[in-house]
Amino acid sequence: MLNFLKKTRLITLSFLTLMTSAHAAVNVDDIIKKSNLASYYAGEDGSAQARMIIVDANGNKQMRQFTILRKDQEDLGDQDMLVFFSRPTDVQGTVFRVTKKVQGDDDRWLYLPALDLVKRISAGDKRTSFVGAHFYYEDVSGRNPAEDNFTFISSDDNSYLIKAEPKDPSSVEYAFYQITIDKNTYLPMKASYFNEQQEIIREMQVLAVQDIEGFPTVVHAKMTQLSDGSFTEMQFRNVKYNVGLPESIFSERSLRTPPKTWLR
Amino acid sequence: MKKVTFIQMILLLGLSISSSQVFAQTEQAHKSTNKLETEKTSQATKQIPSLSTDVWQDEWANDWQETTELSPWKFGYFAEVAYGRFMQNNVVESNTSLSELRGRVNVDYSHELFEFTAKGDLLFDEVLQQTDVNTKELNIAFSPLNNLDVKLGRQVLTWGTGDYVFLNDLFNKDWQSFFSGRDDEYLKSASDSVRMTSYWRDFTLDLAWTPDFSPDNYLTGERFSFYSPILKRNIAPNENFIVEQTQDSQWSARLATSIQGVEYALYGYKGFWTTPLGINHQGMAYFPKMNAWGASALTPLSNGIFNVEFSIYNSLEDSQGNQAAIPNSQVRALMGYEQEIVKNLTVGLQYYLEKTQQYDAFIQSTLFQSTLFANEQVDEYRQLATVRLRYSTLQQKLVYSLFAFYSPTDQDSYLKPAIHYRYNDNYSFSAGANIFSGSKPYTFFGQHQANTNVWFRGRFSF
Repeated sequence: MLNFLKKTRLITLSFLTLMTSAHAAVNVDDIIKKSNLASYYAGEDGSAQARMIIVDANGNKQMRQFTILRKDQEDLGDQDMLVFFSRPTDVQGTVFRVTKKVQGDDDRWLYLPALDLVKRISAGDKRTSFVGAHFYYEDVSGRNPAEDNFTFISSDDNSYLIKAEPKDPSSVEYAFYQITIDKNTYLPMKASYFNEQQEIIREMQVLAVQDIEGFPTVVHAKMTQLSDGSFTEMQFRNVKYNVGLPESIFSERSLRTPPKTWLR
Repeated sequence: MKKVTFIQMILLLGLSISSSQVFAQTEQAHKSTNKLETEKTSQATKQIPSLSTDVWQDEWANDWQETTELSPWKFGYFAEVAYGRFMQNNVVESNTSLSELRGRVNVDYSHELFEFTAKGDLLFDEVLQQTDVNTKELNIAFSPLNNLDVKLGRQVLTWGTGDYVFLNDLFNKDWQSFFSGRDDEYLKSASDSVRMTSYWRDFTLDLAWTPDFSPDNYLTGERFSFYSPILKRNIAPNENFIVEQTQDSQWSARLATSIQGVEYALYGYKGFWTTPLGINHQGMAYFPKMNAWGASALTPLSNGIFNVEFSIYNSLEDSQGNQAAIPNSQVRALMGYEQEIVKNLTVGLQYYLEKTQQYDAFIQSTLFQSTLFANEQVDEYRQLATVRLRYSTLQQKLVYSLFAFYSPTDQDSYLKPAIHYRYNDNYSFSAGANIFSGSKPYTFFGQHQANTNVWFRGRFSF
């Protein structure tokens, strides 16, 4: 009996191996590339209003509301971003500027209106909370695919399941993560982060996708901390692509004098 | 001045809040004019399937639907209570370094052609026993040309690369706030100025003109004591500290650019020393004339930010350095580095050097005036090192911080430990201390040993 079980397992295993090799035709790197494009590089540029609700383990809520302007220097390449905070009142007028760099550290600036202070901030750990939310800086701006090794796990009619292992495990808080990527839109619909014990510690779920000017766009997502059930939900509205943002607005001037024309 | 009790303060604050509701109503009126717009948007958003709409069931959810962004008005308010006390006997009148209730109203109006900002505090200050309306900002900003921004009115101005150490930033500071544990926002006071910023290629040119000289809020003895070289002890003259006022204007300029990620800037200043460091013929303190120029560079460097800055202060009324009653010229230099060394822990280090020019003439002149002062003078090269530690935890709700100044030449130090807890979007609490120590009673920080204090603040923002 035991033998039989062993055999079946062997057969199943070799069957799985066969399947995997059949799917090797599906280029993982290609999927990741398309997914990265779909998630972070839609259009040449874009603008959106966003809000987050941050709910801690005790159910206490905090809110954030901001407008994002983005311009790609090139697809899958460097990007310029401006984030204008409008809520809550204690951060109103705060502006965050990032030049996301594929090679090397991002450039980041913060404008604090009460002090009229433009502060260059160090690139820092990208896996720290973005303005107190469960989303990390990296979740908002996009993790560089070059930092993980991807392997194909499975696929069904709608999606691919891909495993990502960090090349530098000391740089992250997880052992690996699995992403479910939609076959049609290439948007990651779910990402589960595992610890060494193979337990899920953190999970991102897309709750709503909308077609905006032909670009499938995530308009509602949730990040949950499984250890205590705390989470952040993020919603987008007024999403626009290819609005023609001039390169010049991604400068110190916009921190002190927000470019009104592009914030409507 | 009439003494205001705490109960009266609370009553008055209540009044200020109810008057702020008038603003809220105006905002409401604006919202309803945008109703049509709103209905369109809400129809569009209805198509979004939401699996967890329950968490949005609050005031904010409605706000989102009403597209507040379309209203040209923005309002913000907070009320804050603050208390602090000295840790030892001090010669000042009160043992409390801070005891106040503050109500803040921020109003912004955004028009296509201009931006109007007003920020004001109603402050019941028990230490000074007075009630004040302080206009923090009252200005209008517009762009008359494509490459020119103008800001006119009361505003806060900041530049330079130092962290709590200022070289080319000669805009007025409020040292009383800094020493008492008020929010950092109050370290920078506002001035009635015109700021013009023009952009040409990769260069930014800033010009700030303050028609009426705006000095620092320096120590006068009303809240903190300071050392008197004549009496050889700390004094708190308060109203008896008479300073000859200056009406003339200040000019500040900055030319900035960025080349391959490195930010460079040149600075110029024409005005006065911002604290009354001179003594006039009547024996009264005054603000001697001073011009300054300098430069800075700031660049990312191995996961951190590195900065250098220098400034040359020309004390115009004492160009030979031999006037004991007027400060000598100085060369100031700063070097700094800041990095997040482990997750959520940022460390900043700075080294600052202040060279007194014509030092020999300076010592000779003080000797000539009186041997009393000679051995109490600052070193030719005054050095200062600072360390900033900032650790944030509980998803940035709790922040521990420490800022330390240490001068090896003055053998004195100033520690600013603080804890900040942001309970939610409305309530936040902070507590900390200002700890001065030194081996001599007359040095820059050493003279403030008696001013060592602890403080607490609670703020309600809405």
